[in-house]
Amino acid sequence: MQQPAQLPPSDEELVKHTLQDKSVFGELVERYEAKLTRYIIRLGVRDIDDQLDVLQDIFLKTYRNLNAFDTSLKFSSWIYRIAHNEAISWYRKKNVRPEGHLIGDSEEMLSFLSAKTESADVSFDKTINAEVVNEALLEIDSKYREAIILRFFEHKEYEEISDILKIPTGSVGTLLHRGKKQLAAGLNQDAIRI
Amino acid sequence: MNTQQPSPKKSLKDSLFERIESDHVCPRSNLSFLCQECLVWIVWLFSIAIGSLTIAVSIFVITQRQYALYEATHDNFLTFIVGALPYIWILAFGIMVYVAIRNFRCTKHGYKYSVHAVILSSVALSLMGGVALQHYGLGYSVDSSLGNRVGGYLSQEKLEKKAWQAPEEGRLLGKQVLDSVSPQKAFIFEDAEGKQWRMNVTELMKQELDLLATEKTVRLLGKAEYGGKEIFHVCGVFPWMVEKDMTLGELREQRKQFVDRVYDHLEKEKERNRLMEEQGISSNSRTEKGICADITAVRRMPVMKAHQ
Repeated sequence: MQQPAQLPPSDEELVKHTLQDKSVFGELVERYEAKLTRYIIRLGVRDIDDQLDVLQDIFLKTYRNLNAFDTSLKFSSWIYRIAHNEAISWYRKKNVRPEGHLIGDSEEMLSFLSAKTESADVSFDKTINAEVVNEALLEIDSKYREAIILRFFEHKEYEEISDILKIPTGSVGTLLHRGKKQLAAGLNQDAIRI
Repeated sequence: MNTQQPSPKKSLKDSLFERIESDHVCPRSNLSFLCQECLVWIVWLFSIAIGSLTIAVSIFVITQRQYALYEATHDNFLTFIVGALPYIWILAFGIMVYVAIRNFRCTKHGYKYSVHAVILSSVALSLMGGVALQHYGLGYSVDSSLGNRVGGYLSQEKLEKKAWQAPEEGRLLGKQVLDSVSPQKAFIFEDAEGKQWRMNVTELMKQELDLLATEKTVRLLGKAEYGGKEIFHVCGVFPWMVEKDMTLGELREQRKQFVDRVYDHLEKEKERNRLMEEQGISSNSRTEKGICADITAVRRMPVMKAHQ
């Protein structure tokens, strides 16, 4: 008889186990290393050494504060919040603003922008490339950029974005709406046909 | 920032565990997070409590400050309100609400609520707390004890004293010290600065004379006459009531007493004019108006227009 496949432990279970056995934390690190690397790159941490530093700080902070993890939240929201805060402190320490390629591929972004009618009645030129979107993203307010990255590139739900950015869920919608408008306005000049 | 650059050959996990070992990193205890959360809530509660106290004092100051007799001390209701608003307490309330909001937002789930909801609830809680505290007389207690202990603080009592010890403007604060000096009957009044005045009480009513005779501190409304001797023509006597937190009923009563008194002077003046007209005395040859019908407080009353 075939044994039912055992489900891997949830993040929350791993947190519990880590408090008894610190080596379990390694599994959480493996689960989130790639995701968080991508996220901090999107937030503008471009240099590989800086990425390693920031990632190490994120995981160390997570480990130190495991007892503060609120089980009513998703672990991913909590660790993304830490990552977000660490990236912000990194900018402050370095006294820089995000630069470079925030996203790798703008196709997904464009499909989001054109599918939603709430921001503006615009149709996008399919020839827009990632470069243009990147540049436009860099120009919009950081609070909008952060929400857009989480929603459209990290595929987070409103509730999760609310927990990550520590803002009311209603404000997430507002940020996204305004962010898309700003982004559309930025793209409009060069590459959008209305 | 990490000072130990991880070797490119090592995985993040390995370098992280190395650092955990070398720096003896441990998860912070549950208790420390619990204490931190408690502290945030305590500061929030404290700021709401202080906010309530500022509201209690503000209610006390606004309702008690010269409202009942405001025409005696201010040009109109607007100047009275501008002068009576407790700016320091309003500022303190604003600061406390700000601290409460900041703290609430720092609680575990505080960020989930909209800023407007947090502001509204903090203001509403402080207002409710303030009304409750004022109901138990805390507004008066805080105001008077601050007035007694802090030199620069103008308590309600100090402000009232300042407003009523103004003989040039027809207001006096003090008590009657003698009601008979030979060879002729006279009423002597000692004001808050210790200066003695001979009172002209011809336009007073019996209950006002009775109030003066108690030799308690009272407020006089009238006109100062400086003709060699300091004489104060008294048009109204009102009890000095800032030594306690007055109830709304008492305030209403005091207001009514003041308005009635003004009406009374106006009615008397009207009657006087009518009698003079009956006797055929022309308006040109009439003697001057009665002193009390012409004092500033009476002239400021809106009812004056109806009587002219």
